[in-house]
Amino acid sequence: MHRRLSLLFLAFVLLCVAAAAGFAQSMNPDISVIPRFILHTNDGEKLAEGKREFSRPDFAFEELEIAIQAYLNPYAKADVVLTLPGPDVEAGKLGLEEVYATILRGLPLDLNVRFGKYRVDYGKLNMMHPHAWPFVTQPLSQERFLGEEGLNDLGISASILLPTGDIYSKLTVDLLRGSVIGEATGIEDTTGASPYYATSARLMSFFPLGDFSDLEVGLSGYTGIHDPYNRDRFWYGNLDFKYKYKPDAYTSLVVQGEFLYNMRTAAQDRDFNQFVDADGNPERRTINSSGLYLYADYQFLKLYSAGVRFDWTESPYSTEERAQAIAVFLGFYPVEETLGLRLQYQHTMTEAPGASQSVNMIALQALFSLGPHKAHPF
Amino acid sequence: MKHLLFIVLVAWAGIAHGTIKVVTSLPDLADFTRQVGGDRVTVDNIVRGDQNPHFVEVKPSYMMKLKAADLFFLIGMDLEMWAPQIIDGSRNTKLEVVDLSKRIDKLEIPAKLDASQGDVHRYGNPHYWLDPRNIRIIVEDIVAALARVSPGDEQFFRANGEAYLKKLDGKIAQWSATMKSFAGTRIITFHKSWTYFSRWLGLTVVEQVEPKPGIAPSPSHTAGLMTLVRQANIKVIAVEPFYDLSAPDQIARSTGAKVIRLCTSVGGAEGTQDYMSLMDYNITTLAGALK
Repeated sequence: MHRRLSLLFLAFVLLCVAAAAGFAQSMNPDISVIPRFILHTNDGEKLAEGKREFSRPDFAFEELEIAIQAYLNPYAKADVVLTLPGPDVEAGKLGLEEVYATILRGLPLDLNVRFGKYRVDYGKLNMMHPHAWPFVTQPLSQERFLGEEGLNDLGISASILLPTGDIYSKLTVDLLRGSVIGEATGIEDTTGASPYYATSARLMSFFPLGDFSDLEVGLSGYTGIHDPYNRDRFWYGNLDFKYKYKPDAYTSLVVQGEFLYNMRTAAQDRDFNQFVDADGNPERRTINSSGLYLYADYQFLKLYSAGVRFDWTESPYSTEERAQAIAVFLGFYPVEETLGLRLQYQHTMTEAPGASQSVNMIALQALFSLGPHKAHPF
Repeated sequence: MKHLLFIVLVAWAGIAHGTIKVVTSLPDLADFTRQVGGDRVTVDNIVRGDQNPHFVEVKPSYMMKLKAADLFFLIGMDLEMWAPQIIDGSRNTKLEVVDLSKRIDKLEIPAKLDASQGDVHRYGNPHYWLDPRNIRIIVEDIVAALARVSPGDEQFFRANGEAYLKKLDGKIAQWSATMKSFAGTRIITFHKSWTYFSRWLGLTVVEQVEPKPGIAPSPSHTAGLMTLVRQANIKVIAVEPFYDLSAPDQIARSTGAKVIRLCTSVGGAEGTQDYMSLMDYNITTLAGALK
């Protein structure tokens, strides 16, 4: 029943896309449909058997994203992003990635207020949907500390432009339900109790560095209860930057990076393994770990891009569980973002007490975007 | 205390008078606004003259330009698809957005809106400012918008506008005379930027280097253009400053046609500091190549 309803809804959305194209001046919202496909292989699947060989390249459907956006009235707009994540396509489960309204104008101090379920304004990459990344895979530090879906939660957000003269500076503060912490960076709350709130904030500034280059820097924080059984709290601090040099429409260089610092007290890890001291007695530990990524992406001849990314990360509960990766990627975009092909090679090394391994991965990603194309934000 | 109040009032009056803050999408509109508003406006623009106005990245610095503005002048007709994001990001509740295309006689309105036709604009071809006869409508609408913000200065704006249009009429006659002998000449352009311009001058744009608007030249289309240029004896391929010259140069090498840079906006080439010098440059360059 659920599957049938989901597929019916999907059919309805696709009909709306067709209708929107046919009646451009109607009140239909903007609707985009963006599927991502992947062909990938890696040489890590048989390492346990002592064999290192690439697996048979496998086709996979990564995700179908349906984005719907429209103004609600002169003061507010709404965004809905539905997803059919890869494994759920056959199961017909339609997910709600984002659904939120933003009050854009009319509030005191020119506040913007957003409420609903949304990607939180935390760091630089978190607000970007994966189809807009220049690479195929999520940086390891983001995956370990924020989860595969990133920091995306129910909540309410307020942002204000700071009086910093001609420099654009924005402060955003979020009060979040805290419901995603268990999935990504903490222990899942199976007690049935109300989740504990989480809060997040980001301060960013944008500096034009002449006609062709710009720099954005941001400082974010995120805190919540990562262990609902012991009421242990975590604190994240995140420093991000993005530099872009774009002398013309055919060439650009982007250099972007983020450094995340995690601080938490914990009596157990996310697998409920109690921490013990040298004598075997339970102990409460203070964990300070971190992670970072840094990438450069160079666009040339308008249609092509090539880049490299470096990842290094520890884990939310351990500085001994480390991973690092180097990835190189190529992009081909024949007509802006309507069609895209990305090829990525990634070498990943993971370390844990008593075990370490390296894996090579090659992935070819194809995507297209059906519907209106908005201008790219910086 | 009375002195202090007087000073504050005088200062406030000084700030309030003659400082309408205007932002325009194109530098051409900034020029018209300066001509009309004189020292009673401050004007800034978003797009550079050497930049493709269709594709502008949404930068926070543009939002800051709009944050304190009274008026935002747009070409309209969806040329500035990026504008709503900048307007929303500015959080300026007092901003009046003025679409200057409303009274324009629009060309090339598509019967069918379909991405298979390339980047077509649903309201028609938006490059109307390149026909200088359309500047009268633009200037009149700028005068009206400035007068709405500062009704006391309406006569000043109107007089400036009329003086500018009178001068422009003289230049239009001069440009038309220069190009008169080339009426009916066939040219190729890179993008459909010159529809209004060529209609004004009686030129025939037979084909574009882009196979469809916004679509990069393909080898087969470029080869077809080489044949067309030879058969129709086309002498000129006009390319905007922000497009790559590879395909036009390839056609030129094969056929002997000339590739020229024509600018769509003020600042697109050296010496094009205002609209009249921009059109001087375009007419001189085109006439020189067609001789």
